[in-house]
Amino acid sequence: MDLKQQPSRLAAAWPWISTLARLGLAAVFLTAGGLKVTDLAASGRAVNAYDLMSYDTAKAVGAVQPFLEIALGLLLLIGIATRLSAAISAVVLVIFIAGIVSAWARGLRIDCGCFSKGGELAGGRTAQYGLDILRDVGFLALAGLLLWKPRTRFSLDGFLLGEK
Amino acid sequence: MSKGDRGRDRTAARRIVEQQKADERRRKVTIWTSVGVVAVLLIAGFAGWGVLANQEKKTDASQVTTPSVAVDDGTAFAVGTGPVTVDIYEDFMCPICHEFENQTGPTIAQLVTAKKVTVRYHPVAILDRASNGTQYSTRSAGAAAAAAVDGKFVEYHNVLFQNQPEENSDGLDNAKLIELGQSVGLGDSFAKAVTDKTYDTWVTKVTDTFSSRGYNGTPTIVVNGKQVTSANGGLPTTEIFSQAVAAAAG
Repeated sequence: MDLKQQPSRLAAAWPWISTLARLGLAAVFLTAGGLKVTDLAASGRAVNAYDLMSYDTAKAVGAVQPFLEIALGLLLLIGIATRLSAAISAVVLVIFIAGIVSAWARGLRIDCGCFSKGGELAGGRTAQYGLDILRDVGFLALAGLLLWKPRTRFSLDGFLLGEK
Repeated sequence: MSKGDRGRDRTAARRIVEQQKADERRRKVTIWTSVGVVAVLLIAGFAGWGVLANQEKKTDASQVTTPSVAVDDGTAFAVGTGPVTVDIYEDFMCPICHEFENQTGPTIAQLVTAKKVTVRYHPVAILDRASNGTQYSTRSAGAAAAAAVDGKFVEYHNVLFQNQPEENSDGLDNAKLIELGQSVGLGDSFAKAVTDKTYDTWVTKVTDTFSSRGYNGTPTIVVNGKQVTSANGGLPTTEIFSQAVAAAAG
């Protein structure tokens, strides 16, 4: 029997699963960007705390990053070029994970600044790198799922392609 | 060829053409939406850049009133005249800074009196987010600069820590900052500087200098150019601090 004519339950469910992944990832980026965009100086300091670049570069990255996160969140929310948006999300998340791993490896005591303005930890608090990485890997899985199955419901892509 | 065969061919041909049309449409949609995505991200990136550049203008040298008594490129207030330099970067909203002041402040005061150290206080503002938008860190540091200009930095610094507001409260309002100033003998010129926010942009510059030196948290304590922390990188005990000063004195 032709699978196209008789789609399995799973095949019918994929667009819905992907839709959840798309909206979830959109919420992640919108939240992360929204929390940082109100204080770009603090965002720059959070990037600087990773000690991976000069302060001037860190300031620029810290200022641009929240705007990119919000833009990416909005693009995922409306579902435009979903596969490309998912690919960019995945690249961004891999960079974040690499940054946290490198901070961990060098024994820095910092807040990752993922959903906050970050910076050095106050005395007594310990870094939660393992949890931060685990969470980001979870988000990366969402992006991977979208890359693999980019067809979603309620998306601009679907509208433009005339899908119902 | 029978009639039926021909009909089937025609149907097949039509299906191929429809398929080609659909593919063409998909290709166009993919290209243009991709262009749209890249454009949106570029615009967002430039927006961030633009906002940053705009904020930097405010801390441009011409916009900053540097307190006349400030040392270390105009970013700190010196207390004492000893040979060992102790740099202390503090945010008046930071509870650990308060803890450090309670714990090690008396020892520092003794070292100053004994002319063993010169303490350079850098009032930074990294916790502006912790005062419900009233920017207490910046306001209090600006007020401390005004106190320094009127010769009462240490007194005002101490009274600010004694009256430290809770993190994530509104902080102390300007009236209270002025009242605290009066309690240590500061007068009208101090009150005017607090009300006019004379030194608030200067605080941003101090904070920038702090970050550019690679420091990320408060309090950061530096003895003769070397950062002093506990073994695990946290707040040093008074003993560790005293040892660092003794070692620096040689």
